[in-house]
Amino acid sequence: MPIDRDKIMDVLEKAHKGSICKQFDWDTQVIPDTIVEKLQKFGLEKSCDPANPVNQDLELADRFFEAGIEVAAEVGMLCTDTQRVIEFSRDELQAGLDAAPAEFTLGEGDQVANFKHRQLDDPTPPVWVSPLSIAVTEDVFEPLVEGIASIPEVDCLEGPSFETIWGAPLRAGSPYELLAGKMQAELFHKAIKKAGREGIGLYAVGTSPTHYGVLGGYGVPGGYKPERDIVLILSPVEIKTSYENLLKLAHTYNCGGISYGGSWSMIGGYAGGPEGAALSCIACTIILYNAYQCVNGASFPYDLRTMGNCGRPALWALGLVFQALSRNTHLCANSVLNQTAGPATSMLLYESAVGMMTLAACGASSCTGPRTAGGKYTNYITPLEVRFAGEVFKKSAGMSIGQANDIANKLLPKYEEQLGNPGKGQSFKECYNLTSLTPSDEWQKIYDNVKDEVIDVGIPLD
Amino acid sequence: MEKQQLHDQLYDNIMDFDGPAAAETAQAIVNNGYDVIEAIQVATEAVNKIGDKFETGEFFLPHLMRAGKAMGQCMKVLSAHLDAEGTAKKKGTVVIAAVSGDIHDIGKNLVGTMLSVHGFDVVDLGVDVNPMEIADAAERENAKFIALSSLMTTSMPYQKDVLEVLNEIGRRDKFYVVVGGGPVTSEYTQSIGADGWGLSAVSAVKVCDELLKAGHKPPVPKIILVE
Repeated sequence: MPIDRDKIMDVLEKAHKGSICKQFDWDTQVIPDTIVEKLQKFGLEKSCDPANPVNQDLELADRFFEAGIEVAAEVGMLCTDTQRVIEFSRDELQAGLDAAPAEFTLGEGDQVANFKHRQLDDPTPPVWVSPLSIAVTEDVFEPLVEGIASIPEVDCLEGPSFETIWGAPLRAGSPYELLAGKMQAELFHKAIKKAGREGIGLYAVGTSPTHYGVLGGYGVPGGYKPERDIVLILSPVEIKTSYENLLKLAHTYNCGGISYGGSWSMIGGYAGGPEGAALSCIACTIILYNAYQCVNGASFPYDLRTMGNCGRPALWALGLVFQALSRNTHLCANSVLNQTAGPATSMLLYESAVGMMTLAACGASSCTGPRTAGGKYTNYITPLEVRFAGEVFKKSAGMSIGQANDIANKLLPKYEEQLGNPGKGQSFKECYNLTSLTPSDEWQKIYDNVKDEVIDVGIPLD
Repeated sequence: MEKQQLHDQLYDNIMDFDGPAAAETAQAIVNNGYDVIEAIQVATEAVNKIGDKFETGEFFLPHLMRAGKAMGQCMKVLSAHLDAEGTAKKKGTVVIAAVSGDIHDIGKNLVGTMLSVHGFDVVDLGVDVNPMEIADAAERENAKFIALSSLMTTSMPYQKDVLEVLNEIGRRDKFYVVVGGGPVTSEYTQSIGADGWGLSAVSAVKVCDELLKAGHKPPVPKIILVE
């Protein structure tokens, strides 16, 4: 679906002529007060049920969606550069959702990934985009990408990201980022060729959070290809945009490309508890598909206290958001899964199993991850957890939310008490042979054991 | 109005996040000649209560931020009437910012609020602030602390840049530099030569308190790291 110029112009006009709102007031009054009001109005308060980490009440999910569209229509989106609100009427919002595609493709040749809107319990395998933009050293980038691209469950690539480029620290918002945009694409191309995955779809530009990476890497010779790759537009919380985001959108339009709209809401943050975060995510998703005309993406919840979304409150909110989007739109909604434990720990795999299964059962079209070790440590990402998460995601397609809930309740006790203090595990260099791209015996054994355990509780990996 | 009534009212004003009312009550306390330090203690009790509720998940970030703002409005009145002894009890100014290229503000806001409710004067420079601007602001505000937030690995180099700028302009010994944010680890903090690192907003307060307690001139001989 090509990006419509008139719609971009409308968003830009609103960003410069909308009502003025100071960011402090937005964060501390507009968002929390509206969220609280809608939670009350729709009877959603205290609906989070930790005993059922995968929500079983679909009527509740539908009410969340209704409340979400009201929040979106009432608050709009704050442009932080102009301190003005980009407002959409309810009709505009619905038209934007209707205009979004129910399916699209990324990649080319025999590597095309088919994204489709998914229902709950849908047997259609979802799309696995991996890994997240976890920082790695330059010597590790290529072998890691080759290892990850070699995994058949991986449909598209986003990360990892560079800590340095040609030895210099990669600085956000600087010319280094402009260089990094193209450098990442070039190294991707080399690594995927080695893996035999030329043509695989790429998310641009994971290594550069500001617009400079996209300007430097998307649509330039040797860079990301607009006809097969997608631009990441990640909005700041809570339901905000900025010139950085809008520049990415404008550049995507100029290149004839397509966009991904993403954001998140933190449980304990501006929107409040799990119910508020879920509601904010739904409202934000509706706005993202309007403001950025994206074909993929969504806002997802995670927990400020654990910095992950595999604990009970976050899991409940996560599942509910995707149930609401699946049942009330035809979007190709994408989630992000934030694990907290590091490579070569069983906890990382338990978190992945529960999170990926929940997303598959709740109708997510695609997921980006993993965020191994919370994305905190350089080189703490390996292909093995990518493979495990992808296997669970694909094989859980068709699972009912009831089954997912039962399984989650069996697996959560294996790790939930450690969520505040997860194991760091081992780095890629410590638990992988970088030449043969094989895991250490210890890491392989952990994988084998956890795989057996999750099969025993009902995830069909056999 | 009796002192106790005014204290109760001030406590309620803060708990209701009502800054103008808190300032008005503070002014009434001053006008009646009641002890300003006692009033500050009452206001601090209220914000501590709000902090406790945040820790237990009953209150969320907007509550903390609104309480911090109400506390600030109240303190503006009370601190103007502190005597020399009371002024000496103030902990000092913290200049806080998310460094260049980083527009994530949630962690910075949380830390800034926690510091302000625990007796620090916080000057929030916002997000995407360049190292020289941070150094200039610290000088201008006569700060004791510079607190730097990064949520991205690509903004972390700017934390190091702030330290380098301070060294190059000969002001490193004037400010304690504390750092934090998602990917910022204690190891990284040590590698760049900052004075302190906290894993959470609560830890950040402990870091600053411990730096004050230790009393060493920056850069400190032993970095304070609080998980």
